[in-house]
Amino acid sequence: MMQQAGAGRRRDFMQQPWALWRLQAKRLTQIELRRNLFSWRATWIYFLAFIPTLIIFIHILFNEHDASSFNDDTQVLAGIIQLYYIRLGVFFGCLGIFSRLIRGEMIERSLHFYLLSPVRREVLLLSKFAAGSAAAVLLFVTATIVDFALMYLPFGAAGRDYVFNGPGLGQLEAYVLIIVLACLGYGAVFLLLSMVFKNPTPGALLFLGWEAINPVLPSILQRLSVASYLRHLMPVDVGAKGFIALLTVETEPVSGLAATLGLLLLITAVLLYSCYRIRTLEIRYTTE
Amino acid sequence: MSIHKHDYRAYTGRVTPVWTRIFVLGRYSLAEAWSSKFTTVLFVVCLIPPIGALFTIYLANNPAARLLMGNVGPRVLAIDGAFFLNVLTIQSWLAMALASWIAPRLITLDLVDNALPILLSHPISRFGYVLGKCVALFATLSIVTWVPCLLLFAYQGYASPVPWAAANLRIAVGMFAGSLVWIGLISLLGLALSSWVKWRVVATGIIFAAILVPAGVGAIVSEVLRTKWGLLLNLPLVAFSLWQRLLGLHDHVDELKKLPVGAILAVLALACCLFVVMLNKRIRAREVVRG
Amino acid sequence: MNDQIIFEDVSKFYGEVLGVNRVSLTIPPGITTLVGPNGSGKTTLMNLLTGLVQPSSGSISVMGLSSRDANKFFATVGYCTQFDFFPRGITGWQFLLDSLMLHGMSKLAAIQLAEESLQRVQLDKTAAWRKIDGYSKGMRQKIRLAQAIAHRPRVLVLDEPLNGLDPMARAESMALFEELGRQGIHLIISSHILDEVDRISDRVVLITGGYLIAEGNIHQVRQEVREKPMQVLVRCDRPEALASKMFAMNHCVEARLHPDGRGIFLRTGDVDQFYSILNDIATEGTVKIEAVAPADDDAHAIYQYLIGSEGGTL
Repeated sequence: MMQQAGAGRRRDFMQQPWALWRLQAKRLTQIELRRNLFSWRATWIYFLAFIPTLIIFIHILFNEHDASSFNDDTQVLAGIIQLYYIRLGVFFGCLGIFSRLIRGEMIERSLHFYLLSPVRREVLLLSKFAAGSAAAVLLFVTATIVDFALMYLPFGAAGRDYVFNGPGLGQLEAYVLIIVLACLGYGAVFLLLSMVFKNPTPGALLFLGWEAINPVLPSILQRLSVASYLRHLMPVDVGAKGFIALLTVETEPVSGLAATLGLLLLITAVLLYSCYRIRTLEIRYTTE
Repeated sequence: MSIHKHDYRAYTGRVTPVWTRIFVLGRYSLAEAWSSKFTTVLFVVCLIPPIGALFTIYLANNPAARLLMGNVGPRVLAIDGAFFLNVLTIQSWLAMALASWIAPRLITLDLVDNALPILLSHPISRFGYVLGKCVALFATLSIVTWVPCLLLFAYQGYASPVPWAAANLRIAVGMFAGSLVWIGLISLLGLALSSWVKWRVVATGIIFAAILVPAGVGAIVSEVLRTKWGLLLNLPLVAFSLWQRLLGLHDHVDELKKLPVGAILAVLALACCLFVVMLNKRIRAREVVRG
Repeated sequence: MNDQIIFEDVSKFYGEVLGVNRVSLTIPPGITTLVGPNGSGKTTLMNLLTGLVQPSSGSISVMGLSSRDANKFFATVGYCTQFDFFPRGITGWQFLLDSLMLHGMSKLAAIQLAEESLQRVQLDKTAAWRKIDGYSKGMRQKIRLAQAIAHRPRVLVLDEPLNGLDPMARAESMALFEELGRQGIHLIISSHILDEVDRISDRVVLITGGYLIAEGNIHQVRQEVREKPMQVLVRCDRPEALASKMFAMNHCVEARLHPDGRGIFLRTGDVDQFYSILNDIATEGTVKIEAVAPADDDAHAIYQYLIGSEGGTL
């Protein structure tokens, strides 16, 4: 009996129009990417991603680079990733990108065009999430790689040696992984917040506060923070001081793999709930 | 004689002075600001720290309470300029949150619904319009900044066994002046960004981002270029430095991060000018057609 | 496949506000007009039909399909909403093509259908290449209509499709709706322009305050309204004589001379008896009758009788 039910479910699963969904997802992602990356309104996300790059470029032009500044620059780069990108750049960038996907369309009263298209709502949501993630990852990962390259370029042979024969490349991989996970993690949370609340910003700022006070919470609650997972993946420890220390998360030691899997699990759970929410979403623009 | 001359009479009664009309806008803006339950929640949250500070002042001035606490040292419960600076700092962040919530409510609806042409066709100038909105913000933000700070100061003056208020009058003046500067800055920031962003939902986030992101960028400038001037992009820090001086606490400032008063004032003035220019560009009697 | 749209005891509440209440309705193919004052629940009914809002109770079936099965449902249904908003920064052509491509068709097929729908709504192709932000209200209405019909739906729902159109464009749209109706698709229109709707509608659905007041063929609905005497225009050479004869036989409650003096509006409580007597008078030959036509069995009159001033603005 159980076997028959299982076989029936498998048959139903296989009979779903997967090829059509894939095609629709691809086209929706293309449409969203076009809107996320190639419009005037996306300029500020470029600014958020590349302003550190500009500052590092000025550093190349005007500052001296000797052996004594090598370690300092490594620390500074780690600080930029952890304290700027994770806490501010990716946070606000993803808040803008992912809030726009559903809530933004509701504010602009254009969401009904998507809901009236022959696309399953879950496919629509996941495609929008994929497009938002792709846009955020593309911008912030590119910026991180360029930042990394610019930071070590002026050191010449020493820099090359550090990158290719030392820990440099491993650090870059870790930074890229951190940024990708941050984009996905924040993206999923903000997408959900934008569906639950008419104005997701107070929720997002509470989330920022939650992330800040996370270290003092019991370890089970620490698992509900994006930054706490990312902290364990940082290849270089950043000793934060003053105001910035408030934004630094200290959690119980967790292995890199566990942190990555934990965060992916969190993202999956949030996306599943978002899929449930979009099934029951109604168009009522007059209440916006 | 035309019917017009028979029946139509222009109003010739008394009118209120022009300058008082901004309070009409202010009154309506206040009503709009407080129409949200979240504003009330935020306001209640804003009052929690002053209540905590009030309790601290009570403990500091009550020998019996101190005895019960194990006679803690005088530094632990010291009520001085640093104490009031901390209260002011906390209240300023809360005021920031309140402003980022209220300011978009005051201005974005007028822009989205194309109400500006109607409003400005009345005998209200663009300056009067912005001033009316500022009045609402000033009234609301005052209740969470300088008003509780001065009440706490008055209570400390009353509760202190030694003559305290007269000797520390500079703290009260500093808190009042510092609050005014902060209220002016965040009101203009809130209104300017709301007028450009237009959508209320987005504006709240952008206002916060406009404070936090430049602070982060300033930190990068300072660390990467090894200079303290990047800190000038950090408006909360700039304001904090000003308050330290106003409250007579400049000895406590870290020498490496000490910003000259001239630079502080220049940055604040520049920021305000920028916000005024932004408002001037946007607050106009024109209809915006959205596609 | 079922070829009807069925509302079964459908109610929709927005919190404590009533959208529609206990609507049971079966809509066959042809042109059906939703008539009702502002806020009567027409748009809610259309949104319920297309799944943009979910019913609080009851069920809706469109040709046997549910809006939850988006792939099949929206391949069958096209909805031109009254929301005058579009995705920002998009051209009319992109808007059409993006929408068609989501149906899973090839780009070539999508281009062909997009061109065809532009032609049907008479929107210039060069205009379609421009950004919608710069369109006039009429053009925006046209591009919305083009998007709704582009995939050749079997059910077309149009919410105030004549709004913003100039008289010429309005006539073209009406011709298009008539053509679509002749092709056997379900065309559900809500409109305030009753005179024009009247001309093409097969059926009307009257709704006010969220309640269904009447539904069916306009003439049938008019005859159902028994408490309001029917008005008939009789074109004849001696209208006064005709009126006196009618009053003498107690079959007239009101008579009003036509402004040109060559006809008379007569109100009767029993229209069958009235026509019978009129035949007798014509046979007598004392009055030469040229034409007889009902003067108030149109959507406007029905609206006035059933909803009237309670309905608010129309």
